[in-house]
Amino acid sequence: MTLRADHVAGAFFIGLGLLVIALSGDLPTGSLSMPGSGFLPKIVAVMAIFFGAVLVARAKESKAFAELTWSDAKHAALVVAITAAGIALFEPLGFLTTNVLLIFALLAIIERRQVLPATGYSVGVVVTTYVLFVYVLKTPLEPGPLGF
Amino acid sequence: METTLHSLYLGFSVALQPANAWYAFLGCLVGTLVGVLPGIGPLAGISILLPVTFGLNATQAIIMLAGIYYGSQYGGSTTSILMRIPGEASSVMTCIDGYAMAKKGRAGAALCIAAIGSWIGGTFGVLVLTVVAPPLATIAIRFGPPEYTALLVLGLIFLAYMSSSSLIRTLLMACLGLLLGMIGIDNMTGHFRYSFNLAELGDGIGIVPVAVGLFGLGEILSTPSADAVKDIITPRLRDLLPTRKEWGEAAMPITRGTLLGFIIGIIPGSAHVISSFLSYALEKRVSKHPDQFGKGAVAGVAGPETANNAASTGAFVPLLALGIPTSPITAVLIGALMIHGVSVGPTLVNEHPDVFWGFVASMYVGNLMLLALNLPLVSVFVTVLRIPYAYLYPLIIMFCIIGVYEVNNSIVDVWIMLIMGILGYALRKFDFDPAPLVLGLVISPILEQSLRQSLIMSNGNYFIFFTRPISLSLMMISITLLALAAYAFVLKRTDWRTRLAKAEAGEAEK
Repeated sequence: MTLRADHVAGAFFIGLGLLVIALSGDLPTGSLSMPGSGFLPKIVAVMAIFFGAVLVARAKESKAFAELTWSDAKHAALVVAITAAGIALFEPLGFLTTNVLLIFALLAIIERRQVLPATGYSVGVVVTTYVLFVYVLKTPLEPGPLGF
Repeated sequence: METTLHSLYLGFSVALQPANAWYAFLGCLVGTLVGVLPGIGPLAGISILLPVTFGLNATQAIIMLAGIYYGSQYGGSTTSILMRIPGEASSVMTCIDGYAMAKKGRAGAALCIAAIGSWIGGTFGVLVLTVVAPPLATIAIRFGPPEYTALLVLGLIFLAYMSSSSLIRTLLMACLGLLLGMIGIDNMTGHFRYSFNLAELGDGIGIVPVAVGLFGLGEILSTPSADAVKDIITPRLRDLLPTRKEWGEAAMPITRGTLLGFIIGIIPGSAHVISSFLSYALEKRVSKHPDQFGKGAVAGVAGPETANNAASTGAFVPLLALGIPTSPITAVLIGALMIHGVSVGPTLVNEHPDVFWGFVASMYVGNLMLLALNLPLVSVFVTVLRIPYAYLYPLIIMFCIIGVYEVNNSIVDVWIMLIMGILGYALRKFDFDPAPLVLGLVISPILEQSLRQSLIMSNGNYFIFFTRPISLSLMMISITLLALAAYAFVLKRTDWRTRLAKAEAGEAEK
């Protein structure tokens, strides 16, 4: 049997439904006349399992899993990694430093741009955005260790 | 009627104040840019720019954000017609015939017809909103939990039925959204649900990080810069006017698109997207020359473009009259008003007439501004598309982070955005549309509360939804839609929705 995209997607939703039911163990279901906090989550989880099973049952209409193209996966993984680093540094370093580093990293590492244009662009757009938000729109941005 | 005119006068006196008119203009301008730029739709655009409105008053905030919403519908047509790239989802159908017209040297005419149709659709929507919303708000005061439950269930089923992806996929996305919406403190019992001891999750998962992650970051992850298209047709200003024949061909599709779009708009769901698909199908069905569709049919541009703008305005009726977010975008708008201390619902028109009527009047002004902006300045907007994507997406990522962080000053929200971005990327791979997920998240708290209140009211009797006239009518419509969908599903019939999905997929592959 060929593994199809909908086999994987359906299995994910079945697993998710089961996980929600397992995590809802300590939530009271209540009764029909007085539904508890676990009432609707369990109903929706059962629906997710049911629809997931239907998706698996009709999976032959979908693409083979092996046919899914992942040519953009490297780009996506790099963007996620750099953005995650940016988020982790956002509060300790503040808006200005973090975003200059973030944009520079995206341009230099992923887009292979030369250091000088990448530096100029990242400093230029981040400082412009900072001035626009802080002085024109009066919206404070996260300060860094030096107070800006 | 006299009261309405008087109120509208009040609205114009608010909307035409220089500061308010400036924010309407700014919203329209940014909205057009959001619509023009592929990879950043109106939902992500509004969410990202939400913090910018914190320094404004409620009227200015809603005027600017709504301007971004309907402005993006105008701007979305530009990339569809000139590049065959839908700037946002509701412009997908315009790609087919709009680009074909552009290839035949009629890009200017296509843009003009799209802009005029959008203006007519948008203005008609505002006219009906002016007349309908206040009396509807009076009726809405009689809405109880069963009516709200039935309306929200209808919204979900309608979205699933109308969706161009499969019914099961849409329902699965809605389930995922509903489950995400249940994270946090249960309002009725105070239980913590699925928050994993993270205090930040106590208030639940916000719409903004989910929307920006799925639609903003998710799109960027799926679009390597090498894939960005650079082939742009630039129309000359003198070519903008359509011929008399083209006007004649556009007249009836614009009329039909206006009515269809508005009706679809007031029903919960991703109205502006669905309305353009339905309008295209309708125009092809009624056309004397259906073979011309796909080869540059004027009706294929005029109908969908008019319908998506009429639907955008129609979506404000349930928002302003009932306080129900019928789409993720209107949910963010409700959030914006709540941040400014204005609660949206049937009482809005009486408690904040300056906000309500100022907003309505600003849409008349905004639609005129958009017409003035979009036609003469089309070549300027096209220039924006020449910015290399490699330089554009780092900027969008930065705005995604600022937009999400500034709403609650919470870094957890930004992490949620990143997770949602990865989820959005995976969903695209497996052909799932993320819009129902966001709608599920939006309506989840209201649906859960109204369902539980209804059951408590009826002492556990489910028939409460079938014993009250309004909820009975809404439930019957839901059941009919489900039966129709089940009929097509069981018999594996290829109905109009499947054909539209194929048309959309075919367009995406080109």
